[in-house]
Amino acid sequence: MLSISHIIKNFENVNALKNVSLNIQNGEFFGLIGPNGAGKSTLMNIIVGFLEADSGKVSIDGEVISSKNIQLRKKIGYVPQEISLYLELSAYQNLRLFGEFYNLTSKKLEEKIDSVLELVQLTDRRKDAVKDFSGGMKRRLNLAASLLHDPEIVLCDEPTVGVDPQSRNAIFEMLSELNKSGKTIVYTTHYMEEAERLCSRLAIIDNGDVIAQGTLIELINLLNQRDTIKIQKTSATLNKLPLLREMGQVTEHDFYYEIIPEDGYGQNSKIFSKLEENGIPNAFVQLSRATLEDVFLNMTGRSLRD
Amino acid sequence: MKTVLLLVLKDIRRFLNDRRGVLLTFVLPLILIIIFGNIFSGGNETRGKSSLILVNESNSIVAKLFESKLDSSKSLRSVKFYTSENGKDQIKFDEETAKEWVRTGKISAAVIMPKDFFEDTSKALKFRFYYDPKNEIESYVIQGGIQQTIFTSISKIIPILLQRRITARLGIDSSSLFLNSIGNIMGKYFGEKPENYLKNLTKVDSASLFSTSKDSSKENNFMSGVVNFDSEQLVGKRITNPGLTRSVGGWSMMFLLFSLTGAASSIFEEKRDGTLKRLLCMPITRTQILWGKYIYTIMLGMIQLLVLFVFSWALFNVDIFSNFGNLIIVIFSSAAAAVAFGMLITSFAKTYSQANSIATLLILVMSSIGGSWFPTSILPSWMQVLSKGTLTYWSVEAFLQVLWRQASFAGIALNVCILLSIAILINSYAIIRFNRGNI
Repeated sequence: MLSISHIIKNFENVNALKNVSLNIQNGEFFGLIGPNGAGKSTLMNIIVGFLEADSGKVSIDGEVISSKNIQLRKKIGYVPQEISLYLELSAYQNLRLFGEFYNLTSKKLEEKIDSVLELVQLTDRRKDAVKDFSGGMKRRLNLAASLLHDPEIVLCDEPTVGVDPQSRNAIFEMLSELNKSGKTIVYTTHYMEEAERLCSRLAIIDNGDVIAQGTLIELINLLNQRDTIKIQKTSATLNKLPLLREMGQVTEHDFYYEIIPEDGYGQNSKIFSKLEENGIPNAFVQLSRATLEDVFLNMTGRSLRD
Repeated sequence: MKTVLLLVLKDIRRFLNDRRGVLLTFVLPLILIIIFGNIFSGGNETRGKSSLILVNESNSIVAKLFESKLDSSKSLRSVKFYTSENGKDQIKFDEETAKEWVRTGKISAAVIMPKDFFEDTSKALKFRFYYDPKNEIESYVIQGGIQQTIFTSISKIIPILLQRRITARLGIDSSSLFLNSIGNIMGKYFGEKPENYLKNLTKVDSASLFSTSKDSSKENNFMSGVVNFDSEQLVGKRITNPGLTRSVGGWSMMFLLFSLTGAASSIFEEKRDGTLKRLLCMPITRTQILWGKYIYTIMLGMIQLLVLFVFSWALFNVDIFSNFGNLIIVIFSSAAAAVAFGMLITSFAKTYSQANSIATLLILVMSSIGGSWFPTSILPSWMQVLSKGTLTYWSVEAFLQVLWRQASFAGIALNVCILLSIAILINSYAIIRFNRGNI
């Protein structure tokens, strides 16, 4: 189990983490979600030992991670947010170079290089310099470099930033496969759809605090109203904002309004009827299931991407 | 230890994959060494000689003596003809053309021996010298060369010039009387016959002027014995290429500082690219990372210096093997100090480009006052004191001791101690900073 206990970290005038505690079970696919600057990467850096916490501790199966216990790092495979590869070297040279630090025998390392290259579908590009790779290929190799030593826990810090949809799906599938093979995955993102798709359990972090944690269902159940209603912006709806606000919490998007209905409007059919009575036909109205975005909005009053 | 070696190997692989880096580390310094090697040694007969136009309008034997002396000068190349506009004819310079050439910058100087150079018995030798001081050093070289030619020939014609001055002052009758008296006095007090002295005092013939044999008779040696200047080269007699031997250490040290500072501050690149973070998340300590960088950079510096010295030996006969053990010691201590300098810059700078800018400025200052470009002895005294505060000074001096003076270890011990102390102190400081996460 990866246990994060009462972690506090301050940077000059910024309280980056305020007493964060989490327990992540072996074999879990755990999502750490929150907006940029929430403290996700700081927490990741403390888990991998790159940063020291001001107080609190991180332990794996009871062993505390510290700068003196560097062998414990072998249990972790870290996929940094940046493309942390030597661009002038080939894919194979990068993997060989990073793998050598884990004391694997040459034969074992060669086998692992072959298997991770196959996993990330770069076997045929093994001799090419990384600088010639596309963004998606670099991301996949970035992931592969963290798996050479067969870690128990894989920490992925926003591994899909700047990746095309095809490569993103490939990364999702690889991570799902790794999780199925028994590895614990800790995944940070500010893309709610990714977290919803991949993670069995989630923690929402904002301003250095864990404000909620649980399964996706548990988090959505925190909302009184689990559905949201989207109303397309048209000439018919433009001057109806006061009416919409009577019905619940309204967020204005580029092309639609989104309402989380108030308790009194528990029955969605009541909203549809009221909208129709006020000249907004059902064709402009859509019922949506509540998302993590709604949970975050509900808990912080802000959108994740604000 | 294995981890540190792997980190060193990592940097070597990266370096070998960086063609531009390899080029800048080895090829560029080599090109510069070849350029400087050719300046200081080898080449054709005109290498290193300053040209001047020589116009000899006199028919006298003395003028011919000076002309032949200037022709055989080691520092001057006398130009007497120029090519006509149609490109076919070689035309002898006259005074006006020579002046025009100097005025228009085609040549830096001209020396004229006019028709009455020696013939005008009422006067001393007549030279006319025209020059353009656009290049002050060349002007000094030319004037020095001419003066050297005059003074190495003067002993042979002093008696003639003396006779002329006496004749001009006393008249022909009184001068004969005067010279006879000198001849008698010489004969009386220095032996030999007075007429022999008189003959030497008045003799102007090509046999005596162009003679290179040492005449042992007292009459002929009398004037040449006025000044006795014995010189003996005590250091560097065996050195076949003195110029490059003196300068190769200085230039190499400058290249070393540039390449090693760049290599040391590459830690910023690794930080920027995230690879440093990846390494720090592996079972590797910060100290191991810094030692890996340090050992790799010292190795790179030693190889760079060895390549430069071996090329200097192969191409320009710089003797590096007769004191090779001490040369290796100096190379190691210089590389260690240069890396420490790079680490110091790295520990203070906030970014790679900031480190590069600071390093470039400091390296140029250290190279100029530390003796990389020219001997520190030509610097003002306060700057000479300042130069001892630079690691360049101690390194360049150590290279001079080894290559030029063929010094034993005792001769370089102080320099090596200072260089290694700089390395240890600065590196310890850099390790502390790095372990605190300040780099």
